[in-house]
Amino acid sequence: MLITGIKSKPVYAPLQADTGGRYHLMLGLGVGREPLLRVLAELGSEQPAALARTQVLYVPAAGDATTPDAQFAVAALSAVQLFGSARELLAAFRPLLQGSLMGTRLYVAGPESFIGTAMQLALEFNLNKDEIRAEECGTLARRVHCVHCRGVTEDVKTNIVTCSGCGLHLLVRDHYSRRLGAYMGVMADAEAPGELPEIREVFL
Amino acid sequence: MSGGQTLEVIVTAAQQVTPLIRHFTLARADGAPLPAFSGGSHVIVVMRGGDRVYRNPYSLLSAPQDLGTYEIGVRRMEESRGGSHFMHDRVKVGDRLEIAHPVNLFALDKIARKHLMIAGGIGITPFMAQVEDLHGGTVPYELHYSVRSPEHAAFASRLAERAAGHVHLYYDSDRRFIDFEGLLSNQPLGTHVYVCGPTGFIGKVIDTARACGWSGSHIHWEQFSAPPAGDAFEVTLAKSQRTLMVPADRTLLEAIEAAGVEVPYLCRGGVCGFCQTRVVECDGELLHHDLYLSDADKAKGKSIMPCVSRARAKRLVLDL
Repeated sequence: MLITGIKSKPVYAPLQADTGGRYHLMLGLGVGREPLLRVLAELGSEQPAALARTQVLYVPAAGDATTPDAQFAVAALSAVQLFGSARELLAAFRPLLQGSLMGTRLYVAGPESFIGTAMQLALEFNLNKDEIRAEECGTLARRVHCVHCRGVTEDVKTNIVTCSGCGLHLLVRDHYSRRLGAYMGVMADAEAPGELPEIREVFL
Repeated sequence: MSGGQTLEVIVTAAQQVTPLIRHFTLARADGAPLPAFSGGSHVIVVMRGGDRVYRNPYSLLSAPQDLGTYEIGVRRMEESRGGSHFMHDRVKVGDRLEIAHPVNLFALDKIARKHLMIAGGIGITPFMAQVEDLHGGTVPYELHYSVRSPEHAAFASRLAERAAGHVHLYYDSDRRFIDFEGLLSNQPLGTHVYVCGPTGFIGKVIDTARACGWSGSHIHWEQFSAPPAGDAFEVTLAKSQRTLMVPADRTLLEAIEAAGVEVPYLCRGGVCGFCQTRVVECDGELLHHDLYLSDADKAKGKSIMPCVSRARAKRLVLDL
């Protein structure tokens, strides 16, 4: 099958503090708060001074009206900024990268599409694998890049999806592009138009 | 690489540029262009000195876009096994030498957002070619070059011409030293640091970068350790069923080669890991001098880099 056994599918691990870094940038979305709190606690116990060199950018889950201080009480020493959406957060992330120094570590916690976009920006600034840690949490919905029209379809939960750009039926592969921050979608019924496998929700 | 073809070159110029460094220009004997290379590459120069053959790595310092000639700088080593003395004392204009094809183990990172180069003494040579690669480009770079005194600052005038505004010179004689901490704690994201020079110098840069939070993928260094001499010892080659002596003034690799057994190599300086050889048996101590194996691997004693490392053992058996 086209969608399994592909090595480019990112593998995520639970976030851990990297005490080799001097500065720490943390990005989180929704339930991504829990991993970030864990890293902050870890930093706080192993290297308390590092908390003052830590910045947290976070988008609370919809309807969560807790204040920044309460959201990240453990991070009293760190700069915490809350945003209304991932888009706003990522817009603030770029200038932050521009002003950052070597010695910075990036932590990202949230759904893969959020991680992917954050990584794209980080790659622009030549952050390497040994400077970025990410934990996938929340939905497993995928961002799909259509290899035919290059259109991007967001929030894909099914094995087959209709491309938002060209309307083709795309088979969602495990082939992931770090550069595009998306999975590749290829026409599912090219050989026999209209003949599609059963459409199932697989990325939940 | 071992067994790979070498090129015959003629020494077209040889000049003493500092009290310790001799600058050689080499052209192909058949007049053809030399193989293309990128800044940071080195060649192995094969010197046939009577009864023995020296093979030493030297960084190419000439402009990569000029393939008519290669240039190398050779520092006279105090405790030389003979290679650098051979180059200094015996090689004259018009002489023929053999060189291996260039290999780059010290390349610039192609997607770096800034290059920070740090050279100590003869460590300037790979940067000379890299500066040529960066010339006219848009990626910012700085070259910090530390030497004993102005008379030891090899190629400083060429650098002033080709990399004006990028080069910072430091003379020990003026009590001016590179502020590693100041430099490495204040670099924008995406900077890569490259260091070449004496062992202690390289170690200091790496340690300071680490202390400033730099990750390993942004730290690059190159040093061709001159293989230290040591006591003679005996080695047995299991596959070829040979037992031979490694004399005090020859490396394990040279002794194996002299016995007609081929070991693949690239750098001959303990850096690249190409000549890594499995140790079948050792009843004493392996004297690791390479910069390739991790401390843990060195402690395990299962591998050795014959280009620079030796043994203090009655019985050493290698998987060769």
